[in-house]
Amino acid sequence: MAIKSVLGLFQDANQAADAGDAVKETGLTENDIDFLTDCPYPEGAFGEREEHIKLFLFPFIGGILGFFGGIMVTSMTQMAYPLITGGKPILSLPPMAVVMYEGTMLGAILFTVLGVLFESRLPHKMTEAYDERVSQGLIGVLVRAEEGKEQEINDVLSKAGAVDTKIA
Amino acid sequence: MAELKTLNHHYKDMWVFPDADDLAGLPAKATSIGINKLLLWLTLILTAIGVVGFVMRASADGLNDYEPWGYYMAAFSFVFMVTAPAPLVSVAFRLIRSHWRRPLTRIAEIFALVGIVNFVLYIPLMLMIPEIANPNGAGHHSLDIRRTLWIQVPWGAPHFWETMAMLSLPVMSCLILLLSATPDMSASIQFVSGIKKKFYMLVAGYWKGSKRQWLVMQAAIGALGGLYFLTLPFVQFLISTDFGMSLIAGWKDSIFPAIYTLMGFQTSLAAILIVLYIFRRWGGFENFIGASQFWSASKILLGLSLLWIYHMFAFFITFWYGRMEVEQNILNYLYVDSWFWIFIINALGSWLIPFLILVWNPVRRADWGAPLAAVFVLIGALMFNIRIFVGAFNAGREQIYDISITFVPDAVGPDIWDLCMVIGIIGLACLVYLIGLRIFPVMNIWEIKEGAMYQKMGRLFRGNYLVLAKPE
Repeated sequence: MAIKSVLGLFQDANQAADAGDAVKETGLTENDIDFLTDCPYPEGAFGEREEHIKLFLFPFIGGILGFFGGIMVTSMTQMAYPLITGGKPILSLPPMAVVMYEGTMLGAILFTVLGVLFESRLPHKMTEAYDERVSQGLIGVLVRAEEGKEQEINDVLSKAGAVDTKIA
Repeated sequence: MAELKTLNHHYKDMWVFPDADDLAGLPAKATSIGINKLLLWLTLILTAIGVVGFVMRASADGLNDYEPWGYYMAAFSFVFMVTAPAPLVSVAFRLIRSHWRRPLTRIAEIFALVGIVNFVLYIPLMLMIPEIANPNGAGHHSLDIRRTLWIQVPWGAPHFWETMAMLSLPVMSCLILLLSATPDMSASIQFVSGIKKKFYMLVAGYWKGSKRQWLVMQAAIGALGGLYFLTLPFVQFLISTDFGMSLIAGWKDSIFPAIYTLMGFQTSLAAILIVLYIFRRWGGFENFIGASQFWSASKILLGLSLLWIYHMFAFFITFWYGRMEVEQNILNYLYVDSWFWIFIINALGSWLIPFLILVWNPVRRADWGAPLAAVFVLIGALMFNIRIFVGAFNAGREQIYDISITFVPDAVGPDIWDLCMVIGIIGLACLVYLIGLRIFPVMNIWEIKEGAMYQKMGRLFRGNYLVLAKPE
C-alpha cells in the first residue's frame, strides 16, 4: 500500500510536541513522525525519536586507507630507488611520515565527502509534503501513514492546533 | 522593586537580542546587502592591475626562475595567511559552543571562496620550486640534495603532495560553507531571484529541516572542521618550509612554521573583526552584532599578539645564542640588517601596537577597539611576508644547495610590476570575498535563531545578567 505524507504547521513548539503525541495515539509510531524546524532544537524537545548517524565512520575508514596508501607510496619509492640521504636508513619513518600524514588526511577528506552525500541521501528529490513557511519559523509535523489514513491524521493535526495542513 | 537604570557594569549594547520581527526579516536582509558597486569596480581594477603586473613579470623573467617572484610569493602568502584559517575560526568557536560566535560564523566561512584564489595563485609558484637534487652534484660546501622537507624524495614530492594539500583546503572550506549556508538559502529562496534563485534551489532544494538533516549537517561541519584543523597547519608548514626556510641554505628552525601558523590565526581573526565591524557600523546589522563579539574576540587577539612576540623572541634568542656563522647571517639578513625596518614595522603591527591598544579593558569592551588593532595586525603581517618570502626568494639561487649561507644578502625593493602584483593579489582576494557576500546570506540565520532560544537577560537580586542555556 502506498505511503502518504501529511504535514501540519504549528506556531508553537509545545503545540507541535502535543500533536506528535496525539498522532502516536492513532497507532503510528515515532518512526512515522518527523519534526521540521528552521533551526536545530535541543535533543528531545518534541519527544521525538533518537536519530543515529554514522558519518564519523567515513573519515575513520578513509583515514586508515589513506594512511596505508601513504606507507605504500613512500616505501615503494624508497625500495625502487634506494637513495641513502644523510646516512639514514632507506626506510626512515620521519620523511615517510609527511606523506603518510597527508595520505591519511586526503583519504579522510574524500570519505567524509562521500559520507555526507550518503547520510544526506543525496541526490534527493523532495516527494513528501513540505511548506516554505517551515523555514520562516513555523514548526512542521510531518507524518507518514498508509494510504487511507491520511485524512484521520490530517484531522488529528488540525485538532492539535495546526495553522495549516498539507497532504502529499 | 526599583527598575534597573543600567545594565550593570557593561555597555547597553554589549549583548543584543534580536526580537521576533528582527528574526523574521533576517533572511531578506542577509541576502540583499548593498555592496557598494564602486567597491566592486575598485577591486576589479586592482585585480586587472595585478594581471598586468603578472603578465609583464612572466614575459620578462619567465616562470622557471623563482628569484624575481619574491613579491608575488609575499602577496600570495599574505592572502593565504589571512584567509585560509578564517573558516576554521567559525568551526572552532562552534565546536566549543561559544554563543557569541553566531553573528560572525558566516562572515568567516565566506573566506572559503578566497581559498580558490589561493589555489590558483599557488600554481605558478609550484612551477618555480627549484630541483631538489643538486644539478652539479655534491661539492666541498654543497649537498647532493638540498635541505627540504622532502628528504629521500618520495614519489610525487613535492609537486603532487603540495598541490593536493593546497587543493584540499578550498574543497573542505567550501563544503563547510555550502553545508552551513544550506538551511539559510532554503529560508531565503523567496527573497532572491534570477541566477541566485537557481543556485539556491540547486543547493538547498532538498532541505526541509528534519532532525536527521540538522544532525547530518552539524556532524559534517564538525568532521570537515576537524579535518581542516588537522590539514591547515600541515599546509602552512609546507608553505613556510618549501617557499621560505629551504631557500636559505642552513636555515633550520622549528619555531618558524609555528610562527607562521600562529600568524594565520591572528590575521584571520583580525580580518573577520574588521568585516564584522563594517557590518555592525554601516551594514545595518546592529540588532544582531553586539559589542560582546568584539569584546570576546579582543581577548583572543591580545593573546595571539603576545604569543607572536614570545615565538619571535624564542626564534631570535636561539640563533643569537648559537652564534654560528649561518645563524648570524640569517639574523643579520632577516632581523637586524638587510630587512631591519621592515622587521620593525612587522613587530609594531603584529605585536606592540595591538598590545598597547588591547591591554586597556575599556578599549577591549568597545566595538572599535579590536578592529582598530586588527588593522595594524594586517599591516604587520604583510610586512612579515615581505621580509620572509622576498628575503628567501632573493637570498641567491646559487646557495640553495650549500650547507649554509655564507654571506648576508641585501634587501630587495619592489619594482613597478611587483607593486602591481601585490595590490592586484590583495584586490583579487577582496573582489572574490565581496562576490561571496553577494551570493550567500551574510548572516548565519539558523545559528542566530538557535541562539535566540538559548540567551536572554535575567534578573538576579538587583542586577540584570546574561543567562545562557547549555542544551548539549
